[in-house]
Amino acid sequence: MLQLTINGASQTVDAPPDMPLLWALRDILGLTGTKYGCGVGVCGACTLHLDGVAVRSCQLPLSAAVGKTITTIEGLATNGELHPLQQAWIEADVPQCGYCQVGQLMSAAALLAKTARPSDAEIDAAMNDNICRCGTYQRIRVAIKQAADATEARR
Amino acid sequence: MKPISRRRFLKLGAGTSLVLGVYLTGCANESLLQAIPTPPPPAPAPIPSPVPSPAAAAPTAPPMPAPSAPAPTPAPTGPAFAPSAWLAIDTNGVATITVGKPDMGQGVRTALAMLLAEELELDWQNVRVEQAPADRRFGNQMVAGSASMRQLYGPLRQAGASALAMLLAAAAQQLQVDAASLKAEKGIISHAASGRSLRYGELVPVARTLPVPASAPLKAAEHFRLIGKPTPRVDNAAVATGQAIYGMDVRLPTMRYAVVARPPSFGSQVASFNADSAKAVPGVTDVVQIGSGVAVVASNTWAAFKGREALQITWQAGPYGQLDSAAIAESLRAGVSEPAAASAAQLVEASYDLPYLAHAPMEPMNCVADVRADSCELWVGTQSPGGAQAAAARMLGLPAERVTVNVTLLGGGFGRRADTDFVEEAVAISQAVGAPVKLVWSRADDMQHGSFRPISHHRLRGGLDGQGNVVAWSHRIATPGIGGMGGQMAASNARLPYSIRADVDAATVPQPVPTWFWRAVFSSQNGFVNESFLDELAAAANRDPFTVRRDLAQSPRLRTVLELAAEKAGWGAALPAGQGRGIAAHVEYGSFAAVVAEVRVDGGAVRVQRVVVAVDCGVAVNPLSIAAQVEGCVADGVSTTLKSAITIAGGQVQQTSFADYGWLRIGEMPVVETHLVPSSEEPGGIGELVYPAVPPALANAIFAASDRRVRRLPVRAEDL
Ligand code: FES
Ligand code: FES
Repeated sequence: MLQLTINGASQTVDAPPDMPLLWALRDILGLTGTKYGCGVGVCGACTLHLDGVAVRSCQLPLSAAVGKTITTIEGLATNGELHPLQQAWIEADVPQCGYCQVGQLMSAAALLAKTARPSDAEIDAAMNDNICRCGTYQRIRVAIKQAADATEARR
Repeated sequence: MKPISRRRFLKLGAGTSLVLGVYLTGCANESLLQAIPTPPPPAPAPIPSPVPSPAAAAPTAPPMPAPSAPAPTPAPTGPAFAPSAWLAIDTNGVATITVGKPDMGQGVRTALAMLLAEELELDWQNVRVEQAPADRRFGNQMVAGSASMRQLYGPLRQAGASALAMLLAAAAQQLQVDAASLKAEKGIISHAASGRSLRYGELVPVARTLPVPASAPLKAAEHFRLIGKPTPRVDNAAVATGQAIYGMDVRLPTMRYAVVARPPSFGSQVASFNADSAKAVPGVTDVVQIGSGVAVVASNTWAAFKGREALQITWQAGPYGQLDSAAIAESLRAGVSEPAAASAAQLVEASYDLPYLAHAPMEPMNCVADVRADSCELWVGTQSPGGAQAAAARMLGLPAERVTVNVTLLGGGFGRRADTDFVEEAVAISQAVGAPVKLVWSRADDMQHGSFRPISHHRLRGGLDGQGNVVAWSHRIATPGIGGMGGQMAASNARLPYSIRADVDAATVPQPVPTWFWRAVFSSQNGFVNESFLDELAAAANRDPFTVRRDLAQSPRLRTVLELAAEKAGWGAALPAGQGRGIAAHVEYGSFAAVVAEVRVDGGAVRVQRVVVAVDCGVAVNPLSIAAQVEGCVADGVSTTLKSAITIAGGQVQQTSFADYGWLRIGEMPVVETHLVPSSEEPGGIGELVYPAVPPALANAIFAASDRRVRRLPVRAEDL
């Protein structure tokens, strides 16, 4: 039995310590928002936050997640309020098939937490490992900037 | 945060119960409701359920109006008004539009719903969109050939208009006035003279007793409120909150997870296997042989993968263990025939090579199957609900009605999900273990064991007269083709939209590599070849590539998109050294596209800076979605021109993930500008339209920038 902290709640998981967090979330805890795209750390679909840092959950054994703060897409909205990025994603009509977008959002959220107004180059660097097979990149860029603007306007 | 966001979020939650409420009225497939699993207790988040996209929020459009605070939804007081399979309005006035076509990212759940909502004068903010299971009432549910809008533009508008006529008749009865004196708007019918009005929900009990009219008048285009309005997708909120349900996300209470160990080379088969070490992996429950390999079944996906690694299989060497890309290329070169002789002032010859491509949708193949004694239920992201149903029925010897196919969202399709191989595997495994099973393909399974866009080799000979006019065009293709439709289909698809008499023939050169329909099918190869070769002829004639196309365009609609793209791209304006513009066009699916690409060639590297696309696809139902398809086609075009190829060695695909199957990253995405030609023509297709013109526009731009002609894809540094 492993003890994890996911989206602010403590969870007990009955799984081997080498199981990647991705599969524990999806198959055992029923948190299917985090997606499986490659399982080898090269697509970004499984991105979530570990202590606020964007990581690939398909590469993260459960043992390495114990004692850390895990935030998944299900916990990105707080107190019933969408994250500004989620709002921007909806308004800018980013998704096509949508399958990569959870990972894109989690990478973007980690970026904005660190860099309130990222430049194009900073966006490219932070989002480089999140593949969108449908080609929504142009709108992702627009939505990140829109969310950054919205966040600043609220300050 | 603005309160609007909070309300939107709450509304998202409320959407679920509304949807379930509608299911409870019996106007939609009730078997879906029975299949909703009990929520697993520890999950703090929305419960994944097999109901496709249950949390789809009300459609939204910018600027987003503040939705009213969610009120507790009273249960409908009687049966819904459901004059067609597509529509149900309950006594609360909640309108549910059920879309028969699966959505793989092309946006049909939004665009098709808009058609019905338009004619029915629904308040778009209050429309629920549901996904139909495989069901004959929805006609052809296959999504392929960029056909959905062309097939359903008429029928869905008619369904909306007929429903409106019934609601108007019901209101006329209730208000004792002439139906012609009534006006419908945003879900309310009002009688101006008396100031009275009725909401659609109030009319349900009467409307549902009226006969469905054979036809009803359609709105004139100038009265459209929704059609033509940029409308964000109905699933955006569910996607952005992680609540959207793809096949991969379906969970059933007693479901197990399966992966399949697949042969190491084409045509190789299982000789024997020892399951002991696989079964020793905690969580592994079964190991069973099926047609495509050996399935490992476990209590979770990870255990299934571990079990597969531990499994010991002796494979019978296949007949193709030595096959490699060089041998395939050689057989295509040997198989291609000589282009026709031509007498012309100047002859131009060229040959082109295009590789196998993987579809590689972001969501790897998967399917949940529950095979029972005399029935079967599937949950699957499929482009072909009817195909999935027929495949399962055939395997199980059941009538189609005993196979329920619940259609989830698709994490990409690009043609791949029109096949049923993964469905058949899931059915076979569920049958073998007697439990519901989720079959999961790993990314390597997807890359190596899928079915691929066929490789092709092309030889062309063209002739120019003394004035530089194209007077001869002979095109010979060698390709394994797709299934039995090999060369024939490639040749019939190589037509030119220009006033050039093209002589085209194709040879089928069979290969053991499985092939399948990939975005734009053979146009994806022929588009590159035709538009590249036309550029070569233009260069040989010393003519401008744009004016050559414009002057030869057979259709005025093609001429218009060429002119629009050239104008918006600044065709002819000087560019710095090392940069160039290229142009290409494509006509298919009842639509027209022209693409101007701007690239920079620097040493061995190509940087795509800007791609301007002009499209005439008839009435543009949802311009936002059309632009998305254009952007997607450009991304595919840049990827497959610069990065992607499937290669063969040792009788097997060499690529196993996006690490070696190169795909575009955000920093490589060019600026894409989409320009739509206003049109009142019937809608044409858009999902595949632009792709065939992108690789040649890029290749032609590379030529303009560097004088190097790209004749094989993807571009190699040594070709620059
Ligand atoms: S699934 Fe983890 S990076 Fe692809
Ligand atoms: S939206 Fe389909 S993969 Fe990104």
